[in-house]
Amino acid sequence: MYKFFISIALFFVFVIGYSQEIDATKNKEIIKDSMVYKTAYGLRLGMDISKPILAAANDSYNSGIEIVVDYRLSKRFFLATEIGFEEHTSKEYYTNSTAKGNYIRLGFNFNAYENWLDMNNEIFVGYRYGFSKFKQTLNSFSSNISDTYFSTTTFTPNTTSDLNAHWSELMVGFKVETLKNIFVSFSASYKILMSVKEPTNFKTLYAPGFNRIFESKTGFGFNYTIAYTIPFVKK
Amino acid sequence: MKKTVGLISILLLFFSCEKDDFCTQNPVTPNLILRFYDSTNRNTIKKVDNLYVWAEGKDSLFVNASLDSLYIPLNTAALETVYYFSKDNTINQFTISYSTTNEYVSRSCGYKVIFNEVSFTSNNSWINDFEPNIPITIENQNKAHVQIFH
Repeated sequence: MYKFFISIALFFVFVIGYSQEIDATKNKEIIKDSMVYKTAYGLRLGMDISKPILAAANDSYNSGIEIVVDYRLSKRFFLATEIGFEEHTSKEYYTNSTAKGNYIRLGFNFNAYENWLDMNNEIFVGYRYGFSKFKQTLNSFSSNISDTYFSTTTFTPNTTSDLNAHWSELMVGFKVETLKNIFVSFSASYKILMSVKEPTNFKTLYAPGFNRIFESKTGFGFNYTIAYTIPFVKK
Repeated sequence: MKKTVGLISILLLFFSCEKDDFCTQNPVTPNLILRFYDSTNRNTIKKVDNLYVWAEGKDSLFVNASLDSLYIPLNTAALETVYYFSKDNTINQFTISYSTTNEYVSRSCGYKVIFNEVSFTSNNSWINDFEPNIPITIENQNKAHVQIFH
């Protein structure tokens, strides 16, 4: 499972190469460039394409869809949001449970990358506040009995609806303009759970949008998206 | 390029194992612990020799053992477990009655069974007496649950 994540992450890595770097110390006489390169400002709409791939390849990940939207506020700041739906089955040794629900993540991205000429790529860091509303069904469980002298019994399903989770997340990633106004983006995020509603006599093992909840109340996630910018103005 | 390497190492950090991947608690569901004492001098531990232990309709758990304490599993799918303790070819029937509840422990450990209202009955062939006589709850294996005097 982790091996799969690692290999899929490596598969989507972009390598950014540089050549002919300007040595500032040698060029003492810096000529001020009067040319201003304009870039598009507008609404960028996209979809996470890793979710359908995951749903097809990983039998624990039942289904997922995520719409990503960002709006450029200034040269470096973007208002960003992700809205999605996920259904995931946690298969543990003694329990089998399915979490299903919707989520929204809202925050901003800061582009730390200095573009050449009119290029429009990004290496960004971002912050998100996340909220998800979901239900979790305990499909089956068997009691943890260390010896096999007596047989164990498994139990019937039990659903807890109206669960929710709030979290904060920090992300790093990059966006590359591959065709005009078409962006391919990869990002990874580290999430810290702020609050989660737990079912009685069980635990929320997975929250849509958050991913698996670890014992330390943290999680991770990644996005691979393709987005299109609807240009409003050029600045 | 350095940035890419940095990003990959951050990613690898995320995919490492977490402590809730492994259940370190053992056992999760408690067994019943019995301790054997001398029936005249009730504070003295007394070994049982030539001991055989089995549950009704099951194979033996202990064969020709010489022990002063032992633990036996309880049947979580039923409301009572009938055990037979044999000493020097004398069989003593020992019945444990209870109700069960499942309590969630953690992702890797799952659910543990807690035995409530546990009471014991014995046909007292070689066992003279036992304690406690009041119902108890068994939720861990920290100390012996039953003292048997013989």
